[in-house]
Amino acid sequence: MNLAGTIQTRFPDWPLWTLAPVALLAGTAAVFMGVVNMPPGEVLNVLLGHGSADARLIIGDIRLPRVITGLLAGIHFSVAGLLLQSITRNPLADPSIMGVSQGATLAISIFLFVAVYGFNSDPHVLYSLPVQWLPLVGCLGGGLAGVVVYFLAMRHGLSPLRVTLCGIAVGAVLHALAMGIISGWGTARLEIVMQWLAGSLYARSWDHVVFLLPLTLLGLLALPLLRRPIDMLRFDADVARSFGLSYRRQFSIILLIACMLAASAVGAVGPLIFVGLVVPHLARFIAGRRFALVLPLTIFLGATLVVVGDLVGRLIGGSQEIPIGVVTAIGGAPILLSLLRRTP
Amino acid sequence: MSLQCTDLSVSYGSRQALHALTLSVQKGEVLALIGPNGSGKSTALHALAGLTRPDSGSVELDGRALASWRRRDLAKRLSFLPQAPIAPDEMSVEQLVRQGRFAHVGLWRAYGSQDQAAIDWALDSTGLADLAGRGLRELSGGERQRAWIAAALAQEAEILILDEPTSFLDIGHQVEVLELVGRLSRDRGVTVILAIHDLNQAMMVADRVVLLNRGRLSFEGPAGPLAASGLIEKTFNVQGRFVDLGNGAAPHFDVDLRRSRR
Repeated sequence: MNLAGTIQTRFPDWPLWTLAPVALLAGTAAVFMGVVNMPPGEVLNVLLGHGSADARLIIGDIRLPRVITGLLAGIHFSVAGLLLQSITRNPLADPSIMGVSQGATLAISIFLFVAVYGFNSDPHVLYSLPVQWLPLVGCLGGGLAGVVVYFLAMRHGLSPLRVTLCGIAVGAVLHALAMGIISGWGTARLEIVMQWLAGSLYARSWDHVVFLLPLTLLGLLALPLLRRPIDMLRFDADVARSFGLSYRRQFSIILLIACMLAASAVGAVGPLIFVGLVVPHLARFIAGRRFALVLPLTIFLGATLVVVGDLVGRLIGGSQEIPIGVVTAIGGAPILLSLLRRTP
Repeated sequence: MSLQCTDLSVSYGSRQALHALTLSVQKGEVLALIGPNGSGKSTALHALAGLTRPDSGSVELDGRALASWRRRDLAKRLSFLPQAPIAPDEMSVEQLVRQGRFAHVGLWRAYGSQDQAAIDWALDSTGLADLAGRGLRELSGGERQRAWIAAALAQEAEILILDEPTSFLDIGHQVEVLELVGRLSRDRGVTVILAIHDLNQAMMVADRVVLLNRGRLSFEGPAGPLAASGLIEKTFNVQGRFVDLGNGAAPHFDVDLRRSRR
């Protein structure tokens, strides 16, 4: 037996043990490297609670929360994608299929539209816009869209196909409405929305971390209890119910958790194209027949890819950084294509 | 154990699939549902498994309406195998059969020795022990069908409902499944309700045969009276004759090809 084979049989969990250090390394690199070139010693000083005021500002208030926000958002998107792909039995499912991204976009457009006329008369002044409310507004909009899709689909029996069709239909309407509102706008609002739509970790602060973290924990703590229902929901409804699954209840719980994770992440960082779609496929490809590995791999890969993608965008773009959404879209497409080629 | 349906009517949209069906099965009995395509066999089995909401009438297990059972409690008592079940491609035979234990292990309990014993027994009974590690996609149609039967067996339910379990199987494996059904009922007291197209196999394996025609029950009883009734020729629109094979064997229907009606 060759070495790779031996490793595979002796250590069946090797992908996890390999990926964990990679994730750690990526996170560290993302904190130590950036647009502002700072010596590693100084970064370390800040992390240990010392360092100059400037360094503390750059690392503690800008880079660290940005990396952690990215990490959490990566987990949210990829786990939501995995859940949606499993229960809709549609390999192309991701948060946009539940209308979540579109709902968040519409909510944010409406919010900026109203906020400007409500609080300020000059639509060209950027700083007068209440951007700190965007995550919450986006999350509520996305969540609401998910709930609307859920109830529409439930009226017709909540099958995977129903959910998918309702999601796509609702998403298309919401998207059209959002574009309609945006098209009649001043430049400052347009800039904010475009920045948000591209999916960006720029200027993400501890507020975003505090916003995401409770939901991340809630989602991750629920996952062990959902492991078997997720496997079950990959059968058709009759089979799953005959095996003893309360199909409707478990389908609903998982769908709503997926919407919660997706909506909060979309609100915080904008729709990161491809993360929710590609990461579960990558995890499944690496895990192969070891189903138990898919979930942890999805979590690790999601966090790693977003953090690395953001770092790449910062390093390549310099001060004109490339939004993470652009990086994941450009990087995700080839990954998806090569996975498709390998799956018969 | 008593499973029965009373005055059961089911419709899909405007098409009524089942009209006032009343049936009951006893412990250890093998009941075969026969009838032309679209006669309501599948609908009846779905309703008996609690998977279809009837328009009127009721299905009861131990005197309690199926709709009021928790799905997991029901799955410990009753297991159902639909006609063309779908499974994730990358799943292996053993992984599929393990899912049959869900009703027993629930959301988080670890698989114990009793679960493993049930899985091994199910694999052995269907002759799949050697293929346990094989992916479902790598199996022949017949092997896949047996893997599904094994998953239903692993549930260790006392009522087994099978929707055309012998389709896709060659004659050798058809006989294996029918023998398995006979063994389950004899040795383990399992009640088996199955829909089946082959009349002779139905009469061979079943204690009672139920003939459905356009959603209505047109005969219910042992093979002998069914042969004497003349209903087979009328219902299936064929001509033929019943041959007595002697030795107490079930009668055999010999269909006549040339003289069959248009």
